[in-house]
Amino acid sequence: MDKTSSDAITSRFSDLSPLLEKWAFPAENQRSAVRWGASASEFEEFYSKMMPRLGEFLELLSHNPPNKLPPELHGIYQLVCAFAEAAPHHELYKGSAEVPHSFDPRRFRALHGNDPS
Amino acid sequence: MITNDTGDSISEQKSASPRISSTQELRDRFGVAPVSTESICNPAIYDLEKEKIFRKTWLKVATTWEIPEIGDCKVKDLPVLDTSLVITRGRDGKIRAFHNVCTHRGNKIIPETDTETYVRARANVLTCRFHGWVFSTDGTLKSVPAQDHFGELDTACARLREVACDVWQDFVFINMEPEPSQTLADYLDGLSVVFGGYPYAESTQAYRYSTVLDCNWKVALYAFSEGYHVPTIHAGSLPGFRGADHAEFKVMSPHASSTIFAGGMDTTPATSAFAAVLHGSAAHRPRPDQLPKAINPTGRPDFQFELPTIFPNLIIHLGAGCGYPGLSFFTHQFWPMAHGKTLWEGTNYFRPPATAAEKAAQIHVSALHRNAWLEDTATMEDTFKGLMSGAITEMQLMDQEFLIRHISQNIDKYINA
Repeated sequence: MDKTSSDAITSRFSDLSPLLEKWAFPAENQRSAVRWGASASEFEEFYSKMMPRLGEFLELLSHNPPNKLPPELHGIYQLVCAFAEAAPHHELYKGSAEVPHSFDPRRFRALHGNDPS
Repeated sequence: MITNDTGDSISEQKSASPRISSTQELRDRFGVAPVSTESICNPAIYDLEKEKIFRKTWLKVATTWEIPEIGDCKVKDLPVLDTSLVITRGRDGKIRAFHNVCTHRGNKIIPETDTETYVRARANVLTCRFHGWVFSTDGTLKSVPAQDHFGELDTACARLREVACDVWQDFVFINMEPEPSQTLADYLDGLSVVFGGYPYAESTQAYRYSTVLDCNWKVALYAFSEGYHVPTIHAGSLPGFRGADHAEFKVMSPHASSTIFAGGMDTTPATSAFAAVLHGSAAHRPRPDQLPKAINPTGRPDFQFELPTIFPNLIIHLGAGCGYPGLSFFTHQFWPMAHGKTLWEGTNYFRPPATAAEKAAQIHVSALHRNAWLEDTATMEDTFKGLMSGAITEMQLMDQEFLIRHISQNIDKYINA
């Protein structure tokens, strides 16, 4: 990707800065910690800003493997990973940070959880 | 002698058709009576299970793709066997298993950092940190510091203590018997008819979860061995799940299998978007054509996955991408740590993602499945407490809970053998 394209992407997603700051982390364990502390309104805001553009984001991410993404897409990728994990809490669990009627997720260990996604 | 359901010795089992033709046959052959909770609640039976089941049957401890390179090692802590094992890939490419015990004075060769620990043996040797004894990954004792100071030391006899180890469909199994009464191939003979031939080793992208549950291992195993619970327990994570059918039972004692069919569920916008990424990929789309012929032989379009119980503690759900999007298969394993304590391991296996979009889609599918597992595991400690209260002494099982009946009958056979 040349510099012009890179700058265009950075400019195109400048409005995502607050979401990036809150949600975008490289590893599942980091993202889980954020998700467990999120409120219903935060899930709703995340969903309402991400879902309309999810197709656009996925298209951008469909040209490289995760470890060979251009730097300007790292944040978008982490944001989409966080959304992949957070969307059910808005769509299915009414904004609850917990899966209703479930085992304590903090007792569940993701053995890959500290690896960058 | 342990026999199968038709009275043949297990070592004489051959690859006859395992299919049960009707619910009536299932009831006639295996009964309909309530099943005792004794083997769950009685700690003395747990001791028998350790001795007569876990120390005598083949147990899956790894996959070949976890240790792909020469010198790769996996250490597995196995309280049910009172040992820690190290599984190695030697210079000759062969996979072997050893007690993780230095033959000098018993120290662990590889210190563990978790229930599973992965290391690469530099120069293909393992060195005990206590006194520096060096072993090859084939178990040979290679060198001993100050060896001439030992008045007597037979280095040939001081090899790492090897455990029977073999590979089936790229799953690595061990058997603690010094000379196993059955080969792995014989032990899984009937199972191979149903599960053999799928390219399991192509799905190396794993999302692995585990937890320690305060319950007997069979409470956890039984909870994952039937589809009866799906519409209720998973109403949150699988909304609108309809047309669930747990059917097509197959018996290859001590193993058994069955198929989960389902008409569908209410798919959310996010799941639709992520699923489209996987379904649009040649590598991740549904591949019913890759299923072994004994699974869904009539090609029902509502096939979700095959649900077997591989005795004693393993489940390999084979879906070939037909159920959860992109998910080739997933496994559950239930490792007893004590009578009332169990390590549960659940792993989702996908083919490697070629793009970041595919990886994100896999993360979404894995998260949905993890959430369903959180719903499953929510019942287990309560169930165990309920059974241990003595309020009930029998479980009432319906037809779709047949695998539970079958496991229970095989546990009785093994501990009474």
